[in-house]
Amino acid sequence: MKRITLALLFAAFFSSPLHAQKKLERGTIVRMTMAECIAPEHGFMAAMSGSVHNPADGLCPEYVLVADKVVYVIVGKSSGALVPLAETTKFRFEKNALLIRIDDARHEARFGIKEMVLRSEWDHVHPAVMQGMEDSSPHHVKTAAVVNDEPQ
Amino acid sequence: MCLLALQASGTSANITYRSTVSEVRLTFFATDEKNRGVETLATNDFAVVDDGLVIRQFRSFRRADATRLEIVVLVDVSQSVVSRFRQEMSDVIRLISDTQAISDDHLSMITFAGMQAAIECSGNCRDGSVTNRLLASHADGATPLYDALQLAGNFLAERRTPEVRPVLIVFSDGEDTISRVSSNDALHAVLASEAQIYAVDLGDPHRNADGAAALDTLAEATGGRHLFIRDGASQILHSILEDLHAGYLVTYKLPNTAVGFHSTRILPTRNLNLRFRCRRGYVYPSASR
Repeated sequence: MKRITLALLFAAFFSSPLHAQKKLERGTIVRMTMAECIAPEHGFMAAMSGSVHNPADGLCPEYVLVADKVVYVIVGKSSGALVPLAETTKFRFEKNALLIRIDDARHEARFGIKEMVLRSEWDHVHPAVMQGMEDSSPHHVKTAAVVNDEPQ
Repeated sequence: MCLLALQASGTSANITYRSTVSEVRLTFFATDEKNRGVETLATNDFAVVDDGLVIRQFRSFRRADATRLEIVVLVDVSQSVVSRFRQEMSDVIRLISDTQAISDDHLSMITFAGMQAAIECSGNCRDGSVTNRLLASHADGATPLYDALQLAGNFLAERRTPEVRPVLIVFSDGEDTISRVSSNDALHAVLASEAQIYAVDLGDPHRNADGAAALDTLAEATGGRHLFIRDGASQILHSILEDLHAGYLVTYKLPNTAVGFHSTRILPTRNLNLRFRCRRGYVYPSASR
């Protein structure tokens, strides 16, 4: 009985939102430009439906985040939405937004997803960027995957 | 940006081998959240964003304090300025000339007033009489600031060598009344020379907001600083020297050979409290292709 209870608790934990929150993906930011701001809730889905409007004045940072299989073009909510440009960026999804882990203190920055492209397609269209990524990140791990983020 | 051409000629045949290596050189400054200079910085503390592309792999990285300087002092000698700040400007220029820390460096002086800018002395302006003479001279009221900046930029570009760091110290109220070139053209010339502008503001802070803004833009775009004559000669020189000896120099492979302006920015990779100051970009010339 005790074993069954433990197994049920174990299964419940791994299917819970708490565990899902800890699941972080990894990628590398290869481009950073300033672009028109979009609110996260009006990101990718709104873009697909053609109902995007620009709620903010000025420019916001736009990043190209290359993950294992998908390349994300993400836009911050404000001009100050900067993230560290480390070789490895940890991120996760929440509704329509992409949340980037800022530091070890578990702070996260929320970004709207402007565009999603398959990695294979991106590599084909942007060979120079990918070459630049190889040149600029000698230690880049190509086999980025979903990882369980251990407490720091 | 540094363009290095290597050439070797064979002795037995008329064969010339040419190899061109292009790299970008960026001098920059790092400060912490309390605006204090960062003494120890590692290559994995920052990334360069060059025309949007994130660069993390660098060819070299070191402190810039050992780099020799090519200093050009650009002085507004129009009557309105000289009459108000003759003594202050004279003090700063004399201090720059006499400072031991930059005694091995080249010092040149360009003045502007009336219809044009003029090179007063080139590379050897340590004679105090030059300063006295130029500040005592009479000039009319026009101020061709941007023409003078373009002249200084071209002057520094002609003297450019990879191991010498160009610095432009500008004494001005930021106002231009008669230049033939635009502010953009002037800034382009300075960026092409890779010089940093240290703008010593001679304007009245309560009446000259446009001039101050212009100087601020010039300093910020080139990775320099906007200083004020009211702070006094020694404080101004201290700020400039502190800056010149607190910088870092990073070089990396030219990411693309598109002719024209390439924007640059330095951002932290780990600690978002770090702030980096560098020139806003560089110009890749068509002749380099």
